[in-house]
Amino acid sequence: MLIDMDPLVLGKWCKRGIGCALIVIISICLGGCWDREELQERRFVLAIAIDKAEEGVRPDQEKITQVENFYQPHGNKLYRLSLQLLQLAPSQGSESGQRGKTSTSLISTTGQSMTEMLQDMLGQSDKDLWFEHVQTVVISEEAIRQGGLQPITDYLLRSQHIRWLTKVLITSGEARAILEYKPPSGEPSGMFIADSLDMYRKNPHVPGWHTDVGSIAESHDNKQRVLMARIELADDIIKLGGMAILKDGKLIGYVDEYATQGGKFLSGIEKSAIITFECPDSPGKITAFELFSHETSLTPRVEGDNIYYILDIKMRGNIGEMQCGIEHHVVEDHQLHKLEELVAEAVKKNILYSFHTYQNLKVDASVFGQKLQAYEPLMWEKVKDRWDDEVFPTIPLIVSVNVVIENVGAHK
Amino acid sequence: MANLEAKSYMSTWQLAIVIFVTCVGAQVMLTPRSLITKAEHGAGLSVIVGGVLFYSAVCMMLKLAKEYPDETFVEYAPRLFGKAGGSIVVFLFNLLFFFQVIQIFSGVGKIITFYMFDQTPPEVVILALLVVCAYCALQDWGTILRLQQFMFLIAYSILIMVWMSSILNFQPENLLPLWPVNIKAVISSGFSTWNMYSGYECVLLLMPLVYRQASLNSLIAIIGGSFGCLTIIFLMITVIIIGVLTVEAAKNLLYPALIVIRSVELPGTFIERLENYLLLAWIPVVFDTLAAMMYFMGEICMRYWRHADHRPWVLFLLPIIYISSVFLDNQQLYDRVSMFTTWIGLLFSFGVIPASLVLSWRQKRKAGTSCD
Repeated sequence: MLIDMDPLVLGKWCKRGIGCALIVIISICLGGCWDREELQERRFVLAIAIDKAEEGVRPDQEKITQVENFYQPHGNKLYRLSLQLLQLAPSQGSESGQRGKTSTSLISTTGQSMTEMLQDMLGQSDKDLWFEHVQTVVISEEAIRQGGLQPITDYLLRSQHIRWLTKVLITSGEARAILEYKPPSGEPSGMFIADSLDMYRKNPHVPGWHTDVGSIAESHDNKQRVLMARIELADDIIKLGGMAILKDGKLIGYVDEYATQGGKFLSGIEKSAIITFECPDSPGKITAFELFSHETSLTPRVEGDNIYYILDIKMRGNIGEMQCGIEHHVVEDHQLHKLEELVAEAVKKNILYSFHTYQNLKVDASVFGQKLQAYEPLMWEKVKDRWDDEVFPTIPLIVSVNVVIENVGAHK
Repeated sequence: MANLEAKSYMSTWQLAIVIFVTCVGAQVMLTPRSLITKAEHGAGLSVIVGGVLFYSAVCMMLKLAKEYPDETFVEYAPRLFGKAGGSIVVFLFNLLFFFQVIQIFSGVGKIITFYMFDQTPPEVVILALLVVCAYCALQDWGTILRLQQFMFLIAYSILIMVWMSSILNFQPENLLPLWPVNIKAVISSGFSTWNMYSGYECVLLLMPLVYRQASLNSLIAIIGGSFGCLTIIFLMITVIIIGVLTVEAAKNLLYPALIVIRSVELPGTFIERLENYLLLAWIPVVFDTLAAMMYFMGEICMRYWRHADHRPWVLFLLPIIYISSVFLDNQQLYDRVSMFTTWIGLLFSFGVIPASLVLSWRQKRKAGTSCD
């Protein structure tokens, strides 16, 4: 029958046939199913902990660590990688602690390459591991001291799945134990820590701002220091406070909460803080100033071969607490001005404490070098190679603080 | 198919929009790293230098096209350079679009598979985009023009709006020091911004549709506005990249223009991973650039071989484009092709076009003398 048909009609049908076949083939290829993975087929990783391989392993856990282990063709067993996994359907009774329910589980393995360990961990999971929702990465001090920061964070920086806002923390103890911690609220510890660190604007004792994966990448590229928030666990208590400073991937040292607060005043990133000082007429009694806003200007000055910095700070806030009682009648202007001067003096002391801590550690943990590079590039070219070791520890800082007390509280 | 969308004229403003839309394409995402690596803090100045340079090239093209009002470059090039020379020049003209198109397909395939669909082979992403762009390029110019005008209003505003959210992480001091800059690097990088501004060569094909609508001076002024907008957009992107990431960080990232948005935290919203939103806004921008360039390639072939329809040529070029894009998967090869394309582009704009103008003037003077 087809033979009897007009060749033009046949050509038309051929064209249509080819067109239909093409549509079907292209639709099958481009149907968008390549990356399809249903929500229930994913195992969300909420937090990552990285320890030294044998760190924190008790004698009774040796059998467990043997099972967690795998044959490694290259390298050594340097690190123990632990992942906190979210259970979308909580298993009955397995995670019900006394202080609240958490629907998470923890898996670990040891090795050297992070990606190789992640591959091995699939043997402990029934679903594909999903890293897009990682909230926190906790690294133990021992792991960093063992081989530096670079081998640990390289995977985090290369991965397209890990978000750049993921917080990176350091602990002097075991990192895995931090993931095992069950917060009173019942939420997973990875989320609890990330949320707690997110309050860095209100909590001057944690660095927050410069401690995520993106900041580590930027600091690494600019050959600057890396700041990591410190987290510690003792029994059933977890605490964020202070920070660690790293340079060239090595841990330089920890700084306390007071220095962390001073560093945030220096960088101008603090939005809320309590500044305390002793009442001059009542030794042992404390007055607290509640900071609401501040503006910071740090300017480098060069005179000949001498470099120094001028720091101007303007602060506004309220009197939050005054244990001195009636000795300061705060309604009167001259008394208010006296209090403002005392607050300014306390801020200045805090900043210089932080500044001298950095100088003693021989690391520019704030933005002094960056400011010099930006505003005095010719001088920076002269000193950049010996900045941290020789120049920064000797430069003077002139601090000027102007405080305005706007309110004295609901009751005087 | 009835040719309902054949276009015999367009306004100067439409030409300005076509130039803008064709130039702002995929390269806006793919080029900044190499530019910042070379010019460092002076990258913004390089963008301005590039804007001035390529605007002067467009002015020469407009002047040349005005000499041959009813013809495209494909028709008058053989008269200027001879049959063989003309063929080489037209081939070079088409090669410009071809190399840009395969680079864009390859780059887009890589970015999308890396950040959005990591299980999907880049070949499939390229094929999908190629099918959509080919469908658009098979239409007549009226349809493509309407699409470009629509994209100009919608896609670009969304793209810029998403990009601007990175201002939340902008640190003005990262831009410093503005001085001293490496003048030599700034100027040489100015030439290498051709990748960003490329696409303006389409005026040599579109001028017959426009020349009756305006004088040369008004054309130069309106296209100047288009180039001003291009320069502002490219400058804005370069400044944002340096201001957010710093020069050193931008050098180490494959696609800093995309990563610039990765650390943005929108307060009070649930929106996360903004780079995916940026990619989604960027895909239509890439699509209209590619569709227009594929149309131009088909049009050049059609005019050179004196055919009546550009569509068979677009279909003929499809497998060549696809195979070439897929073979461009190696980054080193990609960089080499990119450099080669830049050299061809510069040769065309600052070698072929001035030579064409000189030859045109000489021929006209000769013709005038012989008449006397």
